[in-house]
Amino acid sequence: MPLEFLQSLSEMYIVGELTVLSLLIGGVIMAGGIILAKIAKLLFHKYYAPSLPKDTAQNISKLIYFGILIISFLGFTSSQGIDLSGIMVAGGIFAVVIGFATQSVVSNLISGLFLMVEKPAKHGDTIELPDMGISGTLLDVGTFSSKIRRFDGTITRIPNDKFFTSNIRSLTLSTVRRADVMVGISYESDIEHAISVMRHDIFENMPFVLQIPEPEFRIEELGDSSVNIHVYVWHPRDDWSQVQPVLLTIIKKSLDKSGIEIPYPQRVIWTGKD
Amino acid sequence: MKTMSNDSENIFSNYGIYDLSDNLELFLPNTSIRFQKISDNAFSYFRENSEGKIIEKIIPVKSDDIKIELAPIRPLNHPARRTNYVFLKFDKEIYLSENSAASIFVHCPIEIGIFLIHNSNHESLDCITCNPLTSRFGLYGTPDTGTLCKYAKVLLASDYDDSISYVNGVMQIVIENTLSFGQTISKVIFPITDNSLYYDKSKTILDGIKITMKKRAVVNIADVKTTSVETDWVLSPTWEDGTTNTTLEMGLE
Repeated sequence: MPLEFLQSLSEMYIVGELTVLSLLIGGVIMAGGIILAKIAKLLFHKYYAPSLPKDTAQNISKLIYFGILIISFLGFTSSQGIDLSGIMVAGGIFAVVIGFATQSVVSNLISGLFLMVEKPAKHGDTIELPDMGISGTLLDVGTFSSKIRRFDGTITRIPNDKFFTSNIRSLTLSTVRRADVMVGISYESDIEHAISVMRHDIFENMPFVLQIPEPEFRIEELGDSSVNIHVYVWHPRDDWSQVQPVLLTIIKKSLDKSGIEIPYPQRVIWTGKD
Repeated sequence: MKTMSNDSENIFSNYGIYDLSDNLELFLPNTSIRFQKISDNAFSYFRENSEGKIIEKIIPVKSDDIKIELAPIRPLNHPARRTNYVFLKFDKEIYLSENSAASIFVHCPIEIGIFLIHNSNHESLDCITCNPLTSRFGLYGTPDTGTLCKYAKVLLASDYDDSISYVNGVMQIVIENTLSFGQTISKVIFPITDNSLYYDKSKTILDGIKITMKKRAVVNIADVKTTSVETDWVLSPTWEDGTTNTTLEMGLE
């Protein structure tokens, strides 16, 4: 009975030599290929990807997935008796036409390939794109676009050609980073004493601040209301959140404790009689 | 096997192995630790330091054969694990004339590990620093290519018994100058994960290092290698996962 059913399908022609049976076999091959690709990708992610760098793992995963899909597609076309050599010739001409019509898509694709080869930033790196005002963690460099998770948790998709041609500031390539804040002390305060107490309290309360290079204190300007001191400290690159947001707090407490005034903006007005 | 034993010189708990059949209290400088049996199959762990920071954990156990080991560990975990390297800045510079050698002892900061011993396996439970001011970072090299290290200014020690309990251990450093001119040494940077620690009561010693200043082609370098110390003190368990490090060559300034 099933054989007779298949026999009847093989005699039902759709177009030319293409029968319902051959189309069914092609469909099974494609479906099998997709399922196999997904399983292979899943197994790779489960057993091998954790031991590889994330961007390498993602690239190999894509290679496995799309490789199996392409092989399945070739199996599908041969099961339909389609001569690919003819398609290749037509495809060449077609590609030129499509290329002109889809320049941005091709540009994104090529930029994506260059990004994968050049690797200006890796998966998981914290980067900033100053031209676009975007900063966050690089999640993925895809075929046509890249994804960045911004610090507010939202995800921004950036076309690869824009990503490739923009300035990329990496915040994680260096071993250490520098944080800096500006603080003003009154003109009556002893500058050396103020620096000494700030240095002491930064050492005692900020374990992530590097001792070499030492924290640096520069008298930036003699301002309208205060002597402005620029404080520079270095920290391990991943510990920005332990340093920059709390540096001013520590300095403020330190100056308060030592009785060193942080003046409000003030202006001395002389009247004509004086 | 020790129970709650105290060094005669102080009120703090000695390094060593403690039974955890019932409640147990350990005292360290600025830190108190308490294990409490909360059921037949579980203990609670409580630790408080001088800053009021509290750590609490529940420890499920399968059998009654549970022990605790208090032991010195490498100074790599506070305030966070970021590197395997240690940067020791000597309080006094050491001058070595041409083709000479010297042996010195220095204080090296340590941390204290609490290990759970179960079926002779040591599992890391917690780590403590009794002097947080010795847990600081420093950079050797430039910001883009330099090596991040745990940094400490260290004093020269007289011998292996000269360590400060719970805060530092003593390490021997052998310096050899094979160059044809004198050199001043003020610091040493090396991966401390190759150095084992040993304890006796509340004192600690570490495997030493040998620094060889030599010429390679046209560059003068200091080759730093670990040397094992021969002692009958107890070997501390390893806190970190086993990692392999190559030796480090410091540049000479």
